[in-house]
Amino acid sequence: MKIGERLLMYFFISLGLLVVGFIIMPLIFVYLTTNYLIVLKCLFMNEVLSAFFVTFLAASFSTLILLLLGIPLAYILARKDFKGKNIIESIIDLPLAIPHVIVGIILLITYGSSYSVIGKFLQSIGITIEDSFWGIVFAMTYVSAPLLINTIKEGIKSIDPMMENISRCLGAGPFTTFIKVVLPLTARYIVTGALLSWARAVSEVGSILILAYYPKTVNVLIIEWFHSYSIEYSKALTVLLLSLCLIIFMLLRLGGKRK
Amino acid sequence: MIELRNVYFDIGNIRFENLSLKVKNGEYFILMGPSGAGKTLLLYLITGIVKPHKGKIFIDEIDVTNKSPEERNIIIVPQTFTLFPHLTVYENIAYGLHIRKVPKKEITKRVLSIARILEIEHLLNRMPDTLSEGEKQRVALARALVIEPKAILLDEPTASLDFKTKVKAIQLLKKLHRELKFTAIHVTHDILEALELGDRIAYMEKGRLIKIIEKRKLLSEFPLLHNLLNVIYNKLTS
Repeated sequence: MKIGERLLMYFFISLGLLVVGFIIMPLIFVYLTTNYLIVLKCLFMNEVLSAFFVTFLAASFSTLILLLLGIPLAYILARKDFKGKNIIESIIDLPLAIPHVIVGIILLITYGSSYSVIGKFLQSIGITIEDSFWGIVFAMTYVSAPLLINTIKEGIKSIDPMMENISRCLGAGPFTTFIKVVLPLTARYIVTGALLSWARAVSEVGSILILAYYPKTVNVLIIEWFHSYSIEYSKALTVLLLSLCLIIFMLLRLGGKRK
Repeated sequence: MIELRNVYFDIGNIRFENLSLKVKNGEYFILMGPSGAGKTLLLYLITGIVKPHKGKIFIDEIDVTNKSPEERNIIIVPQTFTLFPHLTVYENIAYGLHIRKVPKKEITKRVLSIARILEIEHLLNRMPDTLSEGEKQRVALARALVIEPKAILLDEPTASLDFKTKVKAIQLLKKLHRELKFTAIHVTHDILEALELGDRIAYMEKGRLIKIIEKRKLLSEFPLLHNLLNVIYNKLTS
């Protein structure tokens, strides 16, 4: 390797390490500077346990809803060409661009029982989003939809369409082909999409603060403790949430790889 | 019999206008022509992967123009063989039988039988990504033949094979056709392959069937093999 080339490589590696360090340093710092007695205390507080329960349950619900509704949509976007496809794709990407407090406001005025006809209808079938578990699920679903749909769409695009044609020629209808060929071949992307979507849902706070402050999610609790108590308490909760997310993330990732 | 009657299909770069063709039951029909002539598209029309804009397609005198691929019992073997990568060789071959809800015992019997004919019994537990191109071709043929289709459409099935494997594959196809007497439409660029396998050879260009010749007739006219190549090329491209 020539000297110029080598220098360029070193320069790029240094810049790359800067980014990696920027990401990993806060994680290391939070683990190094946390008072673990407070962490232990948190583990026995009902308020904390309930916040974790609500957060993970709502994130799982939102991921499940997105899987059920998002996979068919991802399939259509990956396989079919139609007028307005670009518009649909842009709409799906919108939650990535909208500030999350605004997501809270627009969800509230559209699906809130005191604000719109849709909200009133939802209330009539037992779904109220203001300060409720469903409000959290709505917010999480909205912000994490692009991650799940786009990941699965790319997965479906990567399958040779001839695979489906062969299945059809061998006698399988479109639905059987979808179940027996498309789904198994996109399983890895589905798992990745679901993981990303779940992680995004767990991390959501902006829209939840507007839409459903109660029941409190962990993030809401961290903000509340940050303002009411000291940084030590919010750090303890941070370490707990971070650790649980990392463990779940790694377990699911390993499971996905083994498949 | 497969029949295309006045088929019209236009996708911009390829256009079929009043395309008509009859392929008899048990016939081995060869389709030749330059890239972009519409050969593969013709196979897609017959399988139902794409539908003609006008005209009719008949299989055994039944109009299948609006029927979907799963209702036609015609199977295509693409150039890349397209085995299902998540299934074993056995599961790949058994796929069509499972779909048809054939009893398990019968499936095993038929898979083993076709595997024996194609000499791939030792591959049945392997995954497709561990197979050579020649082995993949045999598995794809087994998967197609085991369901006893009305016709098998081969889209340049020897294009990705090395010369030695290609010669073997041609001999195999010849043997299979002699034994199983299936109807075949085979796309190829190789005149030797066409001469070895085909009952009739068609030349296609820009979506039009320029000429169809019978091999038997041709051989009686030109018994000397070394003249044959040039003559056929002249005949086909004239």
